[in-house]
Amino acid sequence: MLTPLQDATVNLALVAGAIVVSLMVLVVLHASPPYIRRWVIVVVTFLAGLYVPLEFFIPRHNFLTVWRDPIGDLVRVLAGFTIGLGILNLLIVHGRHLLQRTTNFPFSLAFFVGFLSMTVVEFLHRYKPDLWAKKAGADQLPFWTAAHKVLFEGMLLPLTSTVFSLLAFFIVSAAYRAFRIRTLEAGLLMAAAIVVMLANVPVGTWLTSWLPTEGWLKWLRFENAALWLTTQINTPTMRSILFGAAVGGLGAALRIWLSLERSFAAGSQ
Amino acid sequence: MEHANWSTIYPWLVWFLTALIGLGILLASLGMPLHIRRLPAIDAIEEAVGRATEMGRPMLFVPGLAGVDVPTFQAIAIAGHIARLAARYRSRILLPVTDTVILTMAEQVLREAYAEGGAPEAFHPEDIRYLSGEQFAFASGVVGLMNRERVAANFFFGNFAAESLILAETGQALGAIQIAGTPSTLQIPFFIAACDFTVIGEEYYAVTAYLTREPILLGSVWGQDICRISLAALILAVTLSHKLLQKSPTVLKFLGL
Repeated sequence: MLTPLQDATVNLALVAGAIVVSLMVLVVLHASPPYIRRWVIVVVTFLAGLYVPLEFFIPRHNFLTVWRDPIGDLVRVLAGFTIGLGILNLLIVHGRHLLQRTTNFPFSLAFFVGFLSMTVVEFLHRYKPDLWAKKAGADQLPFWTAAHKVLFEGMLLPLTSTVFSLLAFFIVSAAYRAFRIRTLEAGLLMAAAIVVMLANVPVGTWLTSWLPTEGWLKWLRFENAALWLTTQINTPTMRSILFGAAVGGLGAALRIWLSLERSFAAGSQ
Repeated sequence: MEHANWSTIYPWLVWFLTALIGLGILLASLGMPLHIRRLPAIDAIEEAVGRATEMGRPMLFVPGLAGVDVPTFQAIAIAGHIARLAARYRSRILLPVTDTVILTMAEQVLREAYAEGGAPEAFHPEDIRYLSGEQFAFASGVVGLMNRERVAANFFFGNFAAESLILAETGQALGAIQIAGTPSTLQIPFFIAACDFTVIGEEYYAVTAYLTREPILLGSVWGQDICRISLAALILAVTLSHKLLQKSPTVLKFLGL
Protein backbone atom coordinates (compact mmCIF):
# COMPACT_ATOMS: atom_id res chain seq x y z
CA MET A 1 0.00 0.00 0.00
CA LEU A 2 1.25 3.46 -0.98
CA THR A 3 4.55 2.07 -2.32
CA PRO A 4 7.15 4.61 -3.52
CA LEU A 5 6.95 5.44 -7.23
CA GLN A 6 9.91 4.73 -9.50
CA ASP A 7 9.48 7.91 -11.53
CA ALA A 8 11.50 10.71 -9.88
CA THR A 9 9.46 13.48 -11.51
CA VAL A 10 6.17 12.06 -10.23
CA ASN A 11 7.76 11.60 -6.82
CA LEU A 12 8.93 15.22 -6.73
CA ALA A 13 5.53 16.44 -7.87
CA LEU A 14 3.85 14.41 -5.12
CA VAL A 15 6.24 15.76 -2.47
CA ALA A 16 5.67 19.33 -3.68
CA GLY A 17 1.90 18.75 -3.71
CA ALA A 18 2.02 17.30 -0.17
CA ILE A 19 3.97 20.34 1.07
CA VAL A 20 1.49 22.74 -0.57
CA VAL A 21 -1.51 20.85 0.89
CA SER A 22 0.16 20.74 4.36
CA LEU A 23 0.82 24.47 4.25
CA MET A 24 -2.76 25.12 3.18
CA VAL A 25 -4.06 23.01 6.07
CA LEU A 26 -1.79 24.92 8.49
CA VAL A 27 -2.96 28.29 7.14
CA VAL A 28 -6.64 27.27 7.33
CA LEU A 29 -6.19 25.96 10.89
CA HIS A 30 -4.33 29.09 11.93
CA ALA A 31 -7.02 31.34 10.50
CA SER A 32 -9.95 29.40 11.93
CA PRO A 33 -11.57 30.44 15.24
CA PRO A 34 -10.53 28.64 18.47
CA TYR A 35 -13.69 26.51 18.71
CA ILE A 36 -13.07 25.08 15.22
CA ARG A 37 -9.46 24.25 16.20
CA ARG A 38 -10.76 22.67 19.37
CA TRP A 39 -13.08 20.39 17.44
CA VAL A 40 -10.37 19.47 14.95
CA ILE A 41 -8.10 18.45 17.84
CA VAL A 42 -10.89 16.52 19.59
CA VAL A 43 -11.91 14.61 16.43
CA VAL A 44 -8.34 13.84 15.31
CA THR A 45 -7.37 12.69 18.83
CA PHE A 46 -10.44 10.48 19.02
CA LEU A 47 -9.90 8.89 15.59
CA ALA A 48 -6.18 8.35 16.15
CA GLY A 49 -6.87 6.91 19.60
CA LEU A 50 -9.51 4.63 18.14
CA TYR A 51 -7.37 3.30 15.32
CA VAL A 52 -4.50 1.84 17.37
CA PRO A 53 -6.55 -0.30 19.83
CA LEU A 54 -8.99 -1.38 17.11
CA GLU A 55 -6.16 -2.52 14.87
CA PHE A 56 -4.63 -4.42 17.80
CA PHE A 57 -7.80 -5.99 19.18
CA ILE A 58 -9.20 -7.23 15.87
CA PRO A 59 -7.46 -10.60 15.60
CA ARG A 60 -4.83 -11.27 12.95
CA HIS A 61 -4.17 -9.20 9.82
CA ASN A 62 -7.27 -7.07 9.29
CA PHE A 63 -8.54 -4.22 7.14
CA LEU A 64 -6.86 -1.69 9.44
CA THR A 65 -3.44 -3.35 9.41
CA VAL A 66 -2.67 -2.15 5.86
CA TRP A 67 -2.79 1.45 7.14
CA ARG A 68 -0.28 0.85 9.94
CA ASP A 69 2.87 1.79 8.00
CA PRO A 70 1.37 4.84 6.20
CA ILE A 71 0.07 6.15 9.54
CA GLY A 72 3.49 5.58 11.11
CA ASP A 73 5.03 7.57 8.24
CA LEU A 74 2.47 10.33 8.71
CA VAL A 75 3.34 10.61 12.41
CA ARG A 76 7.06 10.77 11.55
CA VAL A 77 6.43 13.51 8.97
CA LEU A 78 4.37 15.52 11.47
CA ALA A 79 7.16 15.14 14.04
CA GLY A 80 9.64 16.23 11.33
CA PHE A 81 7.75 19.49 10.91
CA THR A 82 8.28 20.26 14.60
CA ILE A 83 12.08 19.74 14.43
CA GLY A 84 12.27 22.96 12.43
CA LEU A 85 10.29 24.69 15.17
CA GLY A 86 12.74 23.35 17.78
CA ILE A 87 15.72 24.76 15.88
CA LEU A 88 13.88 28.05 15.36
CA ASN A 89 13.20 28.22 19.12
CA LEU A 90 16.91 27.76 19.88
CA LEU A 91 17.93 30.36 17.31
CA ILE A 92 15.42 32.93 18.62
CA VAL A 93 16.32 32.47 22.30
CA HIS A 94 20.08 32.57 21.75
CA GLY A 95 19.93 35.16 18.95
CA ARG A 96 18.12 37.54 21.30
CA HIS A 97 20.78 37.07 24.01
CA LEU A 98 23.48 37.77 21.46
CA LEU A 99 21.85 40.84 19.93
CA GLN A 100 20.93 42.37 23.29
CA ARG A 101 24.35 41.49 24.79
CA THR A 102 22.77 40.12 27.97
CA THR A 103 24.98 38.85 30.78
CA ASN A 104 24.53 35.32 29.45
CA PHE A 105 25.52 36.12 25.88
CA PRO A 106 28.79 34.06 25.95
CA PHE A 107 26.65 30.92 26.41
CA SER A 108 24.61 31.88 23.37
CA LEU A 109 27.79 32.48 21.39
CA ALA A 110 28.96 29.00 22.40
CA PHE A 111 25.62 27.64 21.19
CA PHE A 112 25.98 29.25 17.75
CA VAL A 113 29.58 28.09 17.36
CA GLY A 114 28.64 24.53 18.40
CA PHE A 115 25.46 24.43 16.36
CA LEU A 116 27.01 25.73 13.14
CA SER A 117 30.23 23.71 13.37
CA MET A 118 28.36 20.47 14.13
CA THR A 119 25.90 21.06 11.27
CA VAL A 120 28.54 21.94 8.68
CA VAL A 121 30.98 19.20 9.70
CA GLU A 122 28.33 16.48 9.81
CA PHE A 123 26.87 17.54 6.47
CA LEU A 124 30.27 17.56 4.74
CA HIS A 125 31.33 14.31 6.45
CA ARG A 126 28.24 12.62 5.03
CA TYR A 127 28.23 14.05 1.51
CA LYS A 128 31.62 15.59 0.62
CA PRO A 129 34.29 14.33 3.06
CA ASP A 130 37.17 15.64 0.87
CA LEU A 131 35.75 19.09 0.02
CA TRP A 132 38.31 21.95 0.20
CA ALA A 133 40.91 19.51 1.50
CA LYS A 134 43.74 17.40 0.16
CA LYS A 135 42.58 13.99 -1.07
CA ALA A 136 43.08 11.51 1.78
CA GLY A 137 45.59 8.69 1.31
CA ALA A 138 44.72 5.00 1.59
CA ASP A 139 45.51 4.85 5.33
CA GLN A 140 44.15 8.33 6.13
CA LEU A 141 40.73 9.60 7.03
CA PRO A 142 39.17 12.25 4.77
CA PHE A 143 39.45 15.73 6.33
CA TRP A 144 35.78 16.18 7.23
CA THR A 145 35.51 12.61 8.57
CA ALA A 146 38.43 13.38 10.87
CA ALA A 147 36.74 16.64 11.90
CA HIS A 148 33.55 14.67 12.61
CA LYS A 149 35.49 12.26 14.83
CA VAL A 150 37.11 15.14 16.73
CA LEU A 151 33.79 16.88 17.36
CA PHE A 152 31.66 13.84 18.16
CA GLU A 153 34.05 11.30 19.65
CA GLY A 154 36.57 13.79 20.97
CA MET A 155 34.20 16.41 22.39
CA LEU A 156 30.55 15.41 22.58
CA LEU A 157 31.02 11.92 24.03
CA PRO A 158 33.51 12.99 26.76
CA LEU A 159 31.23 15.90 27.70
CA THR A 160 28.26 13.53 27.96
CA SER A 161 30.30 11.10 30.07
CA THR A 162 31.39 13.98 32.31
CA VAL A 163 27.80 14.99 33.05
CA PHE A 164 26.90 11.34 33.68
CA SER A 165 29.84 10.92 36.07
CA LEU A 166 28.55 13.85 38.18
CA LEU A 167 25.81 11.45 39.19
CA ALA A 168 28.23 9.57 41.45
CA PHE A 169 28.78 12.69 43.59
CA PHE A 170 25.11 13.59 43.60
CA ILE A 171 24.23 10.07 44.80
CA VAL A 172 26.54 10.56 47.80
CA SER A 173 24.98 13.89 48.79
CA ALA A 174 21.44 12.56 48.27
CA ALA A 175 22.24 9.42 50.27
CA TYR A 176 23.66 11.53 53.10
CA ARG A 177 20.36 13.44 53.36
CA ALA A 178 18.24 10.30 53.03
CA PHE A 179 20.15 8.43 55.72
CA ARG A 180 19.96 11.07 58.42
CA ILE A 181 18.02 9.28 61.13
CA ARG A 182 15.23 11.64 62.14
CA THR A 183 12.23 9.38 62.00
CA LEU A 184 11.49 5.66 62.40
CA GLU A 185 11.18 5.31 58.61
CA ALA A 186 14.57 6.95 58.05
CA GLY A 187 16.06 4.60 60.66
CA LEU A 188 14.62 1.53 58.92
CA LEU A 189 15.90 2.85 55.58
CA MET A 190 19.37 3.30 57.06
CA ALA A 191 19.38 -0.23 58.57
CA ALA A 192 18.23 -1.80 55.31
CA ALA A 193 20.80 0.19 53.34
CA ILE A 194 23.64 -0.94 55.65
CA VAL A 195 22.63 -4.60 55.25
CA VAL A 196 22.36 -4.38 51.44
CA MET A 197 25.60 -2.40 51.09
CA LEU A 198 27.56 -4.79 53.33
CA ALA A 199 26.18 -7.79 51.44
CA ASN A 200 27.61 -6.36 48.23
CA VAL A 201 31.21 -5.99 49.46
CA PRO A 202 33.57 -8.86 50.40
CA VAL A 203 34.13 -7.55 53.93
CA GLY A 204 30.38 -7.66 54.58
CA THR A 205 30.04 -11.32 53.67
CA TRP A 206 33.22 -12.06 55.67
CA LEU A 207 31.75 -10.40 58.78
CA THR A 208 28.91 -12.94 59.01
CA SER A 209 30.71 -15.89 57.39
CA TRP A 210 30.94 -17.63 60.78
CA LEU A 211 27.13 -18.04 60.89
CA PRO A 212 25.74 -21.41 59.72
CA THR A 213 24.58 -21.79 56.11
CA GLU A 214 21.58 -23.90 57.14
CA GLY A 215 18.78 -23.42 59.67
CA TRP A 216 17.11 -20.16 60.72
CA LEU A 217 20.43 -18.51 61.64
CA LYS A 218 21.43 -18.46 57.96
CA TRP A 219 19.07 -15.50 57.52
CA LEU A 220 21.36 -13.38 59.70
CA ARG A 221 24.17 -13.69 57.16
CA PHE A 222 24.36 -10.38 55.29
CA GLU A 223 24.06 -11.92 51.81
CA ASN A 224 20.88 -13.81 52.78
CA ALA A 225 19.36 -10.87 54.65
CA ALA A 226 20.06 -8.60 51.66
CA LEU A 227 18.53 -11.14 49.28
CA TRP A 228 15.44 -11.32 51.47
CA LEU A 229 15.17 -7.52 51.66
CA THR A 230 15.50 -7.04 47.90
CA THR A 231 13.30 -9.93 46.75
CA GLN A 232 10.68 -10.05 49.48
CA ILE A 233 10.37 -6.39 50.49
CA ASN A 234 11.73 -4.20 47.71
CA THR A 235 10.47 -6.09 44.64
CA PRO A 236 6.82 -6.46 45.79
CA THR A 237 6.76 -2.79 46.80
CA MET A 238 8.13 -1.65 43.45
CA ARG A 239 5.71 -3.94 41.62
CA SER A 240 2.74 -2.64 43.57
CA ILE A 241 3.70 0.97 42.71
CA LEU A 242 4.07 -0.06 39.07
CA PHE A 243 0.74 -1.90 39.22
CA GLY A 244 -1.03 1.21 40.51
CA ALA A 245 0.73 3.46 37.99
CA ALA A 246 -0.17 1.16 35.07
CA VAL A 247 -3.88 1.34 35.92
CA GLY A 248 -3.50 5.11 36.40
CA GLY A 249 -1.87 5.29 32.96
CA LEU A 250 -4.86 3.50 31.45
CA GLY A 251 -7.22 6.02 33.05
CA ALA A 252 -5.10 8.97 31.91
CA ALA A 253 -4.95 7.57 28.36
CA LEU A 254 -8.73 7.27 28.34
CA ARG A 255 -9.11 10.88 29.53
CA ILE A 256 -6.72 12.15 26.85
CA TRP A 257 -8.40 10.04 24.14
CA LEU A 258 -11.84 11.43 25.02
CA SER A 259 -10.40 14.96 25.46
CA LEU A 260 -11.59 15.09 29.06
CA GLU A 261 -8.30 16.63 30.24
CA ARG A 262 -9.14 20.31 29.95
CA SER A 263 -5.57 21.36 29.16
CA PHE A 264 -5.55 19.36 25.93
CA ALA A 265 -9.01 20.23 24.75
CA ALA A 266 -7.36 23.48 23.63
CA GLY A 267 -10.64 25.21 24.01
CA SER A 268 -10.54 26.30 27.56
CA GLN A 269 -10.64 29.87 26.32
CA MET B 1 3.20 -5.81 15.87
CA GLU B 2 1.20 -8.74 17.13
CA HIS B 3 -2.53 -8.78 17.50
CA ALA B 4 -4.62 -9.51 20.59
CA ASN B 5 -4.99 -13.16 21.51
CA TRP B 6 -8.59 -13.46 22.67
CA SER B 7 -8.02 -16.99 24.03
CA THR B 8 -6.13 -15.40 26.97
CA ILE B 9 -7.44 -13.15 29.74
CA TYR B 10 -5.37 -10.06 28.78
CA PRO B 11 -7.51 -8.39 26.06
CA TRP B 12 -10.67 -9.13 28.10
CA LEU B 13 -9.03 -7.59 31.13
CA VAL B 14 -8.08 -4.40 29.26
CA TRP B 15 -11.67 -3.90 28.07
CA PHE B 16 -13.04 -4.76 31.51
CA LEU B 17 -10.76 -2.19 33.19
CA THR B 18 -11.57 0.42 30.53
CA ALA B 19 -15.28 -0.21 31.11
CA LEU B 20 -14.81 0.23 34.89
CA ILE B 21 -13.06 3.58 34.39
CA GLY B 22 -15.77 4.57 31.90
CA LEU B 23 -18.38 3.62 34.51
CA GLY B 24 -16.65 5.88 37.04
CA ILE B 25 -16.72 8.79 34.58
CA LEU B 26 -20.39 8.14 33.80
CA LEU B 27 -21.42 7.95 37.47
CA ALA B 28 -19.49 11.12 38.28
CA SER B 29 -21.09 12.99 35.39
CA LEU B 30 -24.49 11.86 36.69
CA GLY B 31 -23.70 13.58 39.98
CA MET B 32 -22.32 10.83 42.25
CA PRO B 33 -20.46 12.61 45.10
CA LEU B 34 -16.76 11.66 45.12
CA HIS B 35 -13.98 12.36 47.56
CA ILE B 36 -10.25 12.33 46.88
CA ARG B 37 -7.75 11.94 49.72
CA ARG B 38 -5.33 14.73 50.53
CA LEU B 39 -2.08 14.84 48.55
CA PRO B 40 0.36 17.10 50.49
CA ALA B 41 2.73 17.31 47.51
CA ILE B 42 0.03 18.86 45.37
CA ASP B 43 -1.11 21.18 48.14
CA ALA B 44 2.46 22.46 48.23
CA ILE B 45 2.32 23.62 44.58
CA GLU B 46 0.50 26.85 45.48
CA GLU B 47 2.97 27.47 48.30
CA ALA B 48 5.87 26.99 45.85
CA VAL B 49 4.33 29.39 43.32
CA GLY B 50 3.74 31.95 46.10
CA ARG B 51 7.31 31.63 47.35
CA ALA B 52 8.75 32.11 43.87
CA THR B 53 6.58 35.21 43.44
CA GLU B 54 7.72 36.64 46.77
CA MET B 55 11.35 36.08 45.85
CA GLY B 56 10.80 37.59 42.40
CA ARG B 57 12.42 34.60 40.75
CA PRO B 58 11.08 32.27 38.04
CA MET B 59 9.95 28.66 38.43
CA LEU B 60 11.16 25.69 36.44
CA PHE B 61 8.94 22.90 35.15
CA VAL B 62 10.65 19.88 33.58
CA PRO B 63 8.22 17.51 31.80
CA GLY B 64 10.67 14.60 31.73
CA LEU B 65 12.79 13.08 29.05
CA ALA B 66 10.20 11.19 27.02
CA GLY B 67 8.47 12.26 23.85
CA VAL B 68 4.78 11.88 23.16
CA ASP B 69 3.47 9.45 25.76
CA VAL B 70 0.84 9.38 28.50
CA PRO B 71 3.11 10.47 31.42
CA THR B 72 4.37 13.46 29.38
CA PHE B 73 0.81 14.43 28.41
CA GLN B 74 -0.09 14.26 32.09
CA ALA B 75 2.97 16.38 32.92
CA ILE B 76 1.94 19.07 30.42
CA ALA B 77 -1.58 19.07 31.87
CA ILE B 78 -0.06 19.66 35.34
CA ALA B 79 2.12 22.43 33.86
CA GLY B 80 -1.07 24.05 32.57
CA HIS B 81 -2.56 24.12 36.07
CA ILE B 82 0.63 25.53 37.58
CA ALA B 83 0.69 28.17 34.83
CA ARG B 84 -2.86 29.22 35.75
CA LEU B 85 -1.67 29.76 39.34
CA ALA B 86 1.46 31.57 38.13
CA ALA B 87 -0.66 33.86 35.94
CA ARG B 88 -2.52 35.09 39.01
CA TYR B 89 0.78 36.34 40.45
CA ARG B 90 2.31 37.31 37.07
CA SER B 91 5.12 34.81 37.69
CA ARG B 92 7.34 33.21 35.05
CA ILE B 93 7.61 29.50 34.34
CA LEU B 94 10.61 28.18 32.43
CA LEU B 95 9.79 24.94 30.65
CA PRO B 96 12.69 23.18 28.90
CA VAL B 97 11.84 20.18 26.68
CA THR B 98 13.70 17.38 24.93
CA ASP B 99 11.13 16.76 22.23
CA THR B 100 10.05 19.25 19.59
CA VAL B 101 6.48 17.89 19.47
CA ILE B 102 6.18 18.56 23.21
CA LEU B 103 7.60 22.06 22.61
CA THR B 104 4.64 23.08 20.44
CA MET B 105 2.14 21.38 22.74
CA ALA B 106 3.59 22.97 25.89
CA GLU B 107 3.65 26.41 24.30
CA GLN B 108 -0.02 26.15 23.35
CA VAL B 109 -1.10 24.82 26.78
CA LEU B 110 0.84 27.47 28.71
CA ARG B 111 -0.29 30.30 26.45
CA GLU B 112 -3.92 29.35 27.09
CA ALA B 113 -3.31 28.82 30.80
CA TYR B 114 -1.86 32.32 31.19
CA ALA B 115 -4.78 33.76 29.20
CA GLU B 116 -7.23 31.87 31.42
CA GLY B 117 -5.40 33.07 34.52
CA GLY B 118 -6.04 36.62 33.36
CA ALA B 119 -2.47 37.52 32.45
CA PRO B 120 -1.75 36.72 28.80
CA GLU B 121 0.97 39.37 28.80
CA ALA B 122 2.89 37.43 31.49
CA PHE B 123 3.45 34.56 29.08
CA HIS B 124 6.78 34.69 27.29
CA PRO B 125 7.09 32.17 24.41
CA GLU B 126 10.88 32.12 24.81
CA ASP B 127 10.44 30.61 28.30
CA ILE B 128 9.42 27.35 26.62
CA ARG B 129 12.75 26.12 25.40
CA TYR B 130 13.93 23.22 23.33
CA LEU B 131 17.35 22.34 24.72
CA SER B 132 18.46 19.04 23.22
CA GLY B 133 17.15 15.60 22.38
CA GLU B 134 20.21 14.05 24.00
CA GLN B 135 19.80 12.99 27.65
CA PHE B 136 22.87 14.51 29.30
CA ALA B 137 23.07 17.53 27.00
CA PHE B 138 19.50 18.25 28.14
CA ALA B 139 20.44 17.67 31.80
CA SER B 140 23.40 20.05 31.61
CA GLY B 141 21.22 22.59 29.80
CA VAL B 142 18.60 22.46 32.57
CA VAL B 143 21.28 22.69 35.27
CA GLY B 144 22.71 25.77 33.52
CA LEU B 145 19.24 27.31 33.27
CA MET B 146 18.60 26.71 36.99
CA ASN B 147 21.87 28.37 37.96
CA ARG B 148 21.64 31.35 35.61
CA GLU B 149 17.99 32.14 36.36
CA ARG B 150 18.31 31.30 40.11
CA VAL B 151 14.95 29.52 40.05
CA ALA B 152 12.95 29.55 43.29
CA ALA B 153 10.80 26.49 42.64
CA ASN B 154 11.34 23.34 40.63
CA PHE B 155 8.63 21.00 39.36
CA PHE B 156 9.76 17.67 37.94
CA PHE B 157 6.82 15.78 36.47
CA GLY B 158 7.07 13.06 33.82
CA ASN B 159 9.30 10.19 32.78
CA PHE B 160 12.85 10.58 34.01
CA ALA B 161 15.99 8.48 33.83
CA ALA B 162 19.50 8.92 35.29
CA GLU B 163 19.35 12.71 34.94
CA SER B 164 16.68 12.94 37.65
CA LEU B 165 19.19 13.17 40.48
CA ILE B 166 21.44 15.63 38.63
CA LEU B 167 18.47 17.99 38.26
CA ALA B 168 17.04 17.50 41.76
CA GLU B 169 20.39 17.81 43.56
CA THR B 170 21.23 21.02 41.69
CA GLY B 171 17.85 22.45 42.70
CA GLN B 172 18.48 21.35 46.29
CA ALA B 173 21.88 23.10 46.29
CA LEU B 174 20.20 26.29 45.00
CA GLY B 175 17.67 26.15 47.83
CA ALA B 176 14.68 25.88 45.51
CA ILE B 177 11.47 24.33 46.78
CA GLN B 178 11.11 21.11 44.78
CA ILE B 179 8.06 19.03 43.91
CA ALA B 180 8.43 15.91 41.81
CA GLY B 181 6.17 13.25 40.40
CA THR B 182 6.98 10.28 38.24
CA PRO B 183 5.46 6.91 37.38
CA SER B 184 9.01 5.59 36.84
CA THR B 185 9.69 3.33 39.85
CA LEU B 186 13.47 3.51 39.41
CA GLN B 187 13.56 7.29 39.81
CA ILE B 188 11.16 7.60 42.77
CA PRO B 189 13.89 6.99 45.42
CA PHE B 190 16.09 9.73 43.94
CA PHE B 191 13.28 12.24 43.97
CA ILE B 192 12.28 11.28 47.51
CA ALA B 193 15.87 11.84 48.66
CA ALA B 194 16.38 15.16 46.87
CA CYS B 195 12.97 16.84 46.67
CA ASP B 196 10.73 18.41 49.30
CA PHE B 197 7.59 16.65 48.06
CA THR B 198 7.17 13.64 45.79
CA VAL B 199 4.12 12.21 44.09
CA ILE B 200 4.49 8.49 43.44
CA GLY B 201 2.83 5.77 41.40
CA GLU B 202 -0.88 6.16 40.76
CA GLU B 203 -0.95 9.55 42.56
CA TYR B 204 0.81 10.93 39.51
CA TYR B 205 -2.25 10.31 37.34
CA ALA B 206 -4.62 11.75 39.94
CA VAL B 207 -2.94 15.17 40.12
CA THR B 208 -5.15 16.94 37.55
CA ALA B 209 -8.29 15.50 39.15
CA TYR B 210 -7.06 16.67 42.57
CA LEU B 211 -6.21 20.16 41.31
CA THR B 212 -9.39 20.80 39.34
CA ARG B 213 -11.88 18.67 41.35
CA GLU B 214 -13.76 18.24 38.09
CA PRO B 215 -16.36 15.48 38.60
CA ILE B 216 -15.43 13.67 35.36
CA LEU B 217 -11.75 13.49 36.29
CA LEU B 218 -12.60 12.44 39.85
CA GLY B 219 -14.84 9.76 38.36
CA SER B 220 -11.94 8.36 36.34
CA VAL B 221 -9.81 8.23 39.51
CA TRP B 222 -12.63 6.41 41.32
CA GLY B 223 -12.86 3.98 38.36
CA GLN B 224 -9.12 3.34 38.58
CA ASP B 225 -9.41 2.50 42.27
CA ILE B 226 -12.18 0.02 41.48
CA CYS B 227 -9.87 -1.47 38.79
CA ARG B 228 -7.08 -1.92 41.35
CA ILE B 229 -9.43 -3.56 43.84
CA SER B 230 -10.74 -5.88 41.10
CA LEU B 231 -7.23 -6.82 39.97
CA ALA B 232 -6.07 -7.42 43.54
CA ALA B 233 -9.14 -9.63 44.09
CA LEU B 234 -8.35 -11.55 40.88
CA ILE B 235 -4.72 -12.08 41.93
CA LEU B 236 -5.85 -13.25 45.38
CA ALA B 237 -8.49 -15.61 43.94
CA VAL B 238 -6.03 -17.17 41.46
CA THR B 239 -3.39 -17.56 44.18
CA LEU B 240 -5.80 -19.20 46.63
CA SER B 241 -7.30 -21.53 44.03
CA HIS B 242 -4.01 -22.39 42.37
CA LYS B 243 -4.15 -26.04 43.50
CA LEU B 244 -7.66 -26.35 42.07
CA LEU B 245 -6.67 -24.64 38.83
CA GLN B 246 -3.85 -27.15 38.27
CA LYS B 247 -6.53 -29.66 37.34
CA SER B 248 -7.83 -27.47 34.54
CA PRO B 249 -5.14 -26.73 31.91
CA THR B 250 -7.63 -24.74 29.78
CA VAL B 251 -8.27 -22.25 32.58
CA LEU B 252 -4.54 -22.04 33.35
CA LYS B 253 -3.82 -21.31 29.68
CA PHE B 254 -6.55 -18.66 29.63
CA LEU B 255 -4.96 -17.02 32.67
CA GLY B 256 -1.55 -17.11 30.99
CA LEU B 257 -0.08 -19.33 33.74
